[in-house]
Amino acid sequence: MAASMTFGISRRRAFRKLVGNSRDRLYRMAYAWTHDPHLADDLVQQALCKALSNQRQLKDPSAAEAWLFRILSNCLKDYYRARREVLTDEELVIVDNRTPERETEEQLLVGKVRHAVARLPLPQRQVITLVDLEGFTYASVAEILEIPVGTVMSRLCRGRRALREFLTDIRPQQYRTTNLKRVQ
Amino acid sequence: MKQDDHYSEEQLNALVDGELDPEEKSRFYNETERSPDLDQRLCHQRKLKELVKHAYENVPTPLRANRTPLGRGGFFGRMLAAVILLVVGLTAGFLAHNYLNQFGADSNGPATVDTADVSEFFILHVTSGAPERMQAALRHASALLDGAEQGGQRRVEIIVNERGIDLLRADVTPYSQEIAVLQANDVVFYACSKTIERLENRGVRVQLVPHTNTEYTALDRVVSRMQDGWTYERI
Repeated sequence: MAASMTFGISRRRAFRKLVGNSRDRLYRMAYAWTHDPHLADDLVQQALCKALSNQRQLKDPSAAEAWLFRILSNCLKDYYRARREVLTDEELVIVDNRTPERETEEQLLVGKVRHAVARLPLPQRQVITLVDLEGFTYASVAEILEIPVGTVMSRLCRGRRALREFLTDIRPQQYRTTNLKRVQ
Repeated sequence: MKQDDHYSEEQLNALVDGELDPEEKSRFYNETERSPDLDQRLCHQRKLKELVKHAYENVPTPLRANRTPLGRGGFFGRMLAAVILLVVGLTAGFLAHNYLNQFGADSNGPATVDTADVSEFFILHVTSGAPERMQAALRHASALLDGAEQGGQRRVEIIVNERGIDLLRADVTPYSQEIAVLQANDVVFYACSKTIERLENRGVRVQLVPHTNTEYTALDRVVSRMQDGWTYERI
């Protein structure tokens, strides 16, 4: 019994350590999804809070990372739900007022790509960033976003196709700051 | 567009994302040797992936303010807070005689609670401004203190944000006496500065009950406490 208790304590410690170590990565992902530093920070804190209070629900410790990102994704969903947005997932795009012209030269490329990613509908943006930034497998992404693997592949395909188009032709436009808007 | 149609875009993605098994990979690479078009498509896809990765390599993490007790006046502010707390605590003690001895033994105020002998830690999180929820949180904190095992001690913090901030707004809360009693028993209250900032931006003046601490974001403290092994309860 003492051994199982020790195991439980060390497992909890390991989990808390993982949570602490994942914080910056979760933030980067939340930022890539929302492009809003404050919202991203709030989402990460909510996600960590939920993860820590529900850690007993995690049956397989090796799946902890994907589990954390799934919680983050659910926090984002809850956020949109709470705002009572009538937009569908496909309609959610981020628009911001940064145009390539406003970026310094060294940030130009980064700005261009982020700008292009921000123009993608949220589901495509999530799939692309989970695969490209975190290196998650398609199966893990499917688990995180609670969608079939086939959907992961098709969203990735459409998303990358759109990205290629955006990146070959970015023209300065006047956008509102980090708002959601309906795509006509 | 002239393309090598043997391979779909999904397959190309699968290759650059490391989803193909070694045999499939070999077949694909052999094909690129024969088809410059396929080779070019593969190259573009890899570049795109790298670009996205590169674009988010350096996302600046948000600055988090250090934990700042409300005693903004530094040492003297804390001294004053401790003295006021002592007075409030003694007054409150008349309402809760069973707490007097404990308070009398430790008059340093919540910011300097000695946790050496504390065996259990709880953080209660209030996000609702509904009076019954606020009352439930205070009663629960009191019950937690009462429920400590013989010889054991419990440390309780109550943290509020969103609508729950009303619990600690001096001009709004109906529970200032109960809060003072709990403070006298080392329950520490925290208000979320971000929530206060939002209210003040809307023209609402926020004055907190005495000896309330502030935290830049409530959830930041919750997370940090939970990482330290505290038990979290959302009321």
